[in-house]
Amino acid sequence: MTNRIAQLRKERRISQAELADAVDVTRQTIISLESGRYNASLLLAHRIAKYFGLTIEEVFLFEEEEP
Amino acid sequence: MKNERGKLVLGALGLLAGLLLIGCALVLGDRLPGSIIGLMCGCGGALGGVGGTALLIPLLMRSMSPEERREAERAEYDERVVLIREKAAQSSFYWTLCLLWVPFVVALMQGSLLWMILSTGAVVLHNVFYLVNLARWDRRL
Repeated sequence: MTNRIAQLRKERRISQAELADAVDVTRQTIISLESGRYNASLLLAHRIAKYFGLTIEEVFLFEEEEP
Repeated sequence: MKNERGKLVLGALGLLAGLLLIGCALVLGDRLPGSIIGLMCGCGGALGGVGGTALLIPLLMRSMSPEERREAERAEYDERVVLIREKAAQSSFYWTLCLLWVPFVVALMQGSLLWMILSTGAVVLHNVFYLVNLARWDRRL
């Protein structure tokens, strides 16, 4: 799963700390999400999407792996 | 705030009691049996450690900037940090289980029945706690 958090954040000139504050997680979690090391829970994905005014699918890109 | 002060008082009391126990063990060293001295030192060390940590954490938090403090407080329930703690706990369980066999094997080689029983008991209890917690969380989630 990939996401557009870094891109959306830069477009809106929001810092990682500001986003972390808004969705109530640590800045390290935002860093891990942006680098793709960590996948957000459904609840956090919902909070982030809501913060950007988008749907979860618009922020998080689900790619089905080839069998 | 009241709760925070209570924790500080408990921490100070723990540290004081721990130091007192170790001090008494040192002073009365010759007049008490070795097992009692060991118990006093062990309990004193544990109380001092827990109490000292309870005092140290708020002091460390106070020395942080408001942003750092907010980040540290948030890390308590941050989902990534919670996941890290769960994975660390799971990994620790397996490694502790492996390590618990070391005293058993040493006791077996030395033929020390008491330590054989104690180390086997520790392995059994370690697994029982794990199974109990698995069942508890299976019911909750």
